[in-house]
Amino acid sequence: MRKLLLGAALCAAVGSAAHAQTQQELTRDGNGGNTDNVLTYGMGYHQQRYSPLKQINKSTVKRLVPVWSMSLNNDVGEQGQALVYNGVMYASNVKQTVAIDAATGRQIWATPIDWDPAAARIVCCGLSNRGVALYDGKVYVASLDAHIKALDAKTGKEVWKTKVAEWKEGYSITSAPTVVNGVLLTGMTGGEYGVRGFVAGYDPQTGKELWRRHTTAGPGEKGHETWPQGEAYARGGGSTWITGSYDPELDLTYWGTSNGGPWGANWRPGDNLWVASVIAIRPKTGEIAWHYQWTPAETYDFDGNNENVLADITVDGQKRKVLMHADRNGFLYVLDRTNGKLIAGNAFVKVNWAKPRIDPAIGRVEETDVAKRLRAGEQVELQPRWTGGKNWMPMSFNRDNGQVYMAMLEETAIYQINKEMPAYKAGERYTGVTNTTKARAPGEGGYYGALDPLTAKAKWKISSGDLPSWSGMLTTSGGLVFSGKATGEFVAIDQDTGKILWQFQTSSGINAQPITYTLNGRQYVSVLSGLGGGTSAKRETQGKVQPGGSVWTFALMPD
Amino acid sequence: MKKFIVAVCMAAANLAFAEQDETPAIKPEQITRGAALYGQHCSACHGPRMKDPEGAFDLRTFPSDQHTRFVNSVTNGKASMPPWGGLLKPDDIESLWAYVVAGEKK
Repeated sequence: MRKLLLGAALCAAVGSAAHAQTQQELTRDGNGGNTDNVLTYGMGYHQQRYSPLKQINKSTVKRLVPVWSMSLNNDVGEQGQALVYNGVMYASNVKQTVAIDAATGRQIWATPIDWDPAAARIVCCGLSNRGVALYDGKVYVASLDAHIKALDAKTGKEVWKTKVAEWKEGYSITSAPTVVNGVLLTGMTGGEYGVRGFVAGYDPQTGKELWRRHTTAGPGEKGHETWPQGEAYARGGGSTWITGSYDPELDLTYWGTSNGGPWGANWRPGDNLWVASVIAIRPKTGEIAWHYQWTPAETYDFDGNNENVLADITVDGQKRKVLMHADRNGFLYVLDRTNGKLIAGNAFVKVNWAKPRIDPAIGRVEETDVAKRLRAGEQVELQPRWTGGKNWMPMSFNRDNGQVYMAMLEETAIYQINKEMPAYKAGERYTGVTNTTKARAPGEGGYYGALDPLTAKAKWKISSGDLPSWSGMLTTSGGLVFSGKATGEFVAIDQDTGKILWQFQTSSGINAQPITYTLNGRQYVSVLSGLGGGTSAKRETQGKVQPGGSVWTFALMPD
Repeated sequence: MKKFIVAVCMAAANLAFAEQDETPAIKPEQITRGAALYGQHCSACHGPRMKDPEGAFDLRTFPSDQHTRFVNSVTNGKASMPPWGGLLKPDDIESLWAYVVAGEKK
């Protein structure tokens, strides 16, 4: 009987391995799906980065130990989130995509990502790649020179490759692709190089482009009236460099858009839709169902790309379908994700360019005298700095207590818009601003915090160490928050008190996105370590932390 | 004998280096042009007017007798700096050199 059962289990395992991962599995990821798998960027289409797993918890975390580490042979930084399917981990950086046996840490295959090294000159903020997408037996990965390709998940061999845009015109891709409702989506970056932003949809089987939704409203489109006459919209920025979240019931995918181009808004008068906004897109067609603009007439380099986290929360006694977003501009927003209406918008860090609370009756930020002086051409001290109150490193929504957990930045810029408008030349910087950072004391620039999304009030807030952290967060039902430090420590924080309960020094700085999953009933936590990112992070870490990418995986030491 | 050979080789290397590294005379208009090119292509990483270099090489400390090294680094890239040879012409790079060695020391 025992043999028979074993045989049945084996058949089931083989059946499941042979079965290519489906749209249904994607939809259930982080949403009641099998915890052996992590199939989507954000650990669920909602991008909550929350797991119901609790084997590793406040009591047991003291037994958390590394079980394997694997080099990624890359010294320019790891920002990616790994995915796991049927015991295989898929990870990427700007140089390669790798498949790893998740139980042992041994490589299964590695496929180089090839691009012209000159393309690095049209990337503002580090040579980054934030991960892959999985669908129907394929791994999808984008490259710095704005191509996207499909690899066979079993072998790593290329199935197809499609050019998304021309890097010599300033376009590149650093974000993870995603597959929603059977369509492969990618964003792009290049907001410092005079690009016109877009989200594009592809046939996952062939790589054929199905649609392209530009994020600056062109002639004949509603919203074009928010641009001056002429070509400003055509190089107006609005890049889409963080993977959108997705609500399968509403069939809407939510993408943030970057700063306007050039940075100085005086050269493109108007609100400039849909720059520094969130747009809700129909994934089959690219149609925009609604938009909300975080920073109208954006002139601060406040990209609005940060993750848009979806959850159903109680607001004034009523269950609401919301979208939560902590913007570079310093505000934590809660929107009704069915229609884009503002529910709450409050400053979560020091903000001096706008009043700290957005009146829902008005629905948009109200600027202060600092903003007026800046727009008039004065040099000002600006809070937040252009890097934002939070940058791309994703927050986590904890389903158990309804709080959001994030790494916050508190820096002050010295910022001035240049007198002369920069000349537009394809593939060259197009900003027109002089910006530096005001000096501050060590330990003051970065914090981890637990915040109420509706008020932005912190339940606790702790320093993220000597250097600001650019690491994503993960919450679990074990009462733990996982994140990393620029100095390399992987940390487990008590979700209720902010006390660091456990930490482990990894091989380099952490500026990536931890995940958790199970294998044969054992809970694992994995994170990429490898100092990277843009100059704003490098200025802090140069000479203090060694680069070098690797994957680290942890589990409880058996009794 | 061994010491002698090493010494000769070192002298030869120094000579080659010095010859190779003879810095072209800098004209004031090159500095002005270099400053504009610097502002457009370099300041985002190396800092406005070379101040606050944000973790990139602090160009204020670039040795003024290493012209060849400068040209090679800009043309072909170095560490996390991309190659600029596809965009900047040799006289652009000479102007940048003029600005880097003389521009902010006036």
